[in-house]
Amino acid sequence: MLLAKTLRSTTFKLALIAIGTFGLIVSAILSYVYLSTSSYVRSRSDRAIMTEYLSLQGAYQQSGREGLIALLRQRIADTSFADNIYLLVDPSLVALAGNLSEWPSTVTAARGWTEFRAPEPLPGATTLPLLRAMLETFPNGDRLLVGRDITDLDSFADHIKTAVISLAALIFVLAGMASILVTRRTVGRIEAINATSRAIMLSGLDKRIPLRGTNDEWDRVAENLNLMLDRIETLMGEVKQVSDNVAHDLRTPLTRMRGRLEKAYHGPRVGEQDQALIGDTIADLDAVLRIFSSLSRIAQIETAARKGGFRSVNLTEIAGEVVELYDAAAEQDGTRLTIVGDSEVLVTGDRDLIFDAIANLVDNAIKHGRAGGQVVVANENIDGKPVISIADDGPGIPAHQYEHVFKRFYRLEHSRYTPGNGLGLSLVSAVARLHGARIELLDNSPGLKLRLWFSEPTS
Amino acid sequence: MTGGHRRILVVEDDPETAGQLVEQLTTSGYQVDLAANGNEALSQGAASDYAVITIDRMLPDIDGITVMRQLRDDGVAAPVLIISALGEVDDRVRGLRAGGDDYLVKPFSFVELLARVEALGRRSDTIVKETILRVGDLAVDLVSRTASRRGKDIVLFPREFQLLEYLVRNEGRVVSRAMLLRHVWDLHFDPSTNIIDVYVGRVRRKVDGQQAYPLIHTVRGIGYCLRAPG
Repeated sequence: MLLAKTLRSTTFKLALIAIGTFGLIVSAILSYVYLSTSSYVRSRSDRAIMTEYLSLQGAYQQSGREGLIALLRQRIADTSFADNIYLLVDPSLVALAGNLSEWPSTVTAARGWTEFRAPEPLPGATTLPLLRAMLETFPNGDRLLVGRDITDLDSFADHIKTAVISLAALIFVLAGMASILVTRRTVGRIEAINATSRAIMLSGLDKRIPLRGTNDEWDRVAENLNLMLDRIETLMGEVKQVSDNVAHDLRTPLTRMRGRLEKAYHGPRVGEQDQALIGDTIADLDAVLRIFSSLSRIAQIETAARKGGFRSVNLTEIAGEVVELYDAAAEQDGTRLTIVGDSEVLVTGDRDLIFDAIANLVDNAIKHGRAGGQVVVANENIDGKPVISIADDGPGIPAHQYEHVFKRFYRLEHSRYTPGNGLGLSLVSAVARLHGARIELLDNSPGLKLRLWFSEPTS
Repeated sequence: MTGGHRRILVVEDDPETAGQLVEQLTTSGYQVDLAANGNEALSQGAASDYAVITIDRMLPDIDGITVMRQLRDDGVAAPVLIISALGEVDDRVRGLRAGGDDYLVKPFSFVELLARVEALGRRSDTIVKETILRVGDLAVDLVSRTASRRGKDIVLFPREFQLLEYLVRNEGRVVSRAMLLRHVWDLHFDPSTNIIDVYVGRVRRKVDGQQAYPLIHTVRGIGYCLRAPG
């Protein structure tokens, strides 16, 4: 199974291509070595034969058949020419002189190069030697053969050839085995990741890809995938939490509406009562729709489809407008709403979204602050970074709740019955994320201070 | 809006919604034509002169915004109200509003729809030339940016004056909260809190407090209407 996967894997196919290319190059180099070596050796031997042939031919032309026979006898007796083969025959192929007993039957050409097996073993050898010779037919029909034993030469070439072929084969086999081993290891790790993925799809997000502790790139991949799974698991949990909350927050008004309508449906028609009932139902529906709009608005902001609308805006100016808008609400609540800080705090962003976020924060501060207390909005540049802070002097939030308040529908116990749907801070957090801003919650003792650290404006 | 130019083209593929729209607009004195898809809308829109065209954004054949662009290319100048089930956090929506057209998110109340249609239809009306607008005993001086009732000055913050001015300019017509946010605060999203009501409440106390009769009236579930009695 693993082997089949190994052979099918891309890594292995790439390895094969690499081996093939490499092998071809190596084979080409070795073939070149083989060819040039053997042709060099052969040409040396050919030169020696040719030299001898020319001198014998010269002797024949100078002093005729008898002179050549004498020279041949002299040559055969001389040990320094022991490597050479000679044979001179008359037109009826009867040997006249030479160290070869008879004219080889396979040799028919009149002149030029030839190669043939000797009819009998040379002295002191058992196998029939391979001979290479130069032929000449003289005008009277006498034929001369001058050659050399090239058996050694031939077997030398054969040795090189064998070496070249085995070397190439060895390279192919070793490379093939190495790539199978490497691929198998890779495939094994990938298979572990695949198996975990399948297990996750089948049973749930609690599985994790096992690490080998080798700290290699595969462990890195596994680590990151596991982190991603952690994140997905958290998100899934949040989604479930949100859908539970949506269900709860929607069911309550929907149940109310249904009950009201059902009662009216079965009861008698009373004009004024019906009018009030319809009015209440529309108001309840509007509340449900507001939750929907808020949720889809947050979702749309979170998908960051709006960065195109970013431009340089003055935080102080936006905050000023928010404060002006909420001035009446604060006044109604007996809260003193003030704005302090620098007159120009520039950020790169979307005015509407920033307005909405600040409005939500001011709204929260007024609602959850102390009745008759004060809310301070401050804009400043701290270390070159634009910062807006909204502080109240109400009961504040316990530090351990800080991380929860940005979750959708999250409401602190003591604010469960104040108006609101628990989506305000989720929106703030979505807007902050879109703007790359960091949210900081601080104890204002008493009260809560929320700071939005924007990134430096891009010019 | 005055005169005989109260003809509206409604482009909507859902028969029930279309029926409701036609009924409501007819009741409000409009002459309504209906197109059930983009192609019908294109031929009808080019054939007649409409005061306003409302287009559902998701039509069976052509996207509503494309229909609108096509109509513009065909030389149809009527303002368009795009009605959509998609949200508002979208640059295209902002583009629509900047271009004098409008965008309304489904589901909507018919009062809101009527208010938007009225506002769009009025776009081409003649611009008020007077520098002092009067409703009943209220006088709004557009040059000195002051307001008074029965000659007695009303102290208003600049934004409060803008709000009152917008209400006065739309005398007798319903103005929704979203319209107020857009025209007074230049904000392009629907308010999720009652903040506008609180704000208008304060303006109303300044304008209507200790007076013979109220001018600013609440329209339940939608917004406000400024009108003189009688």
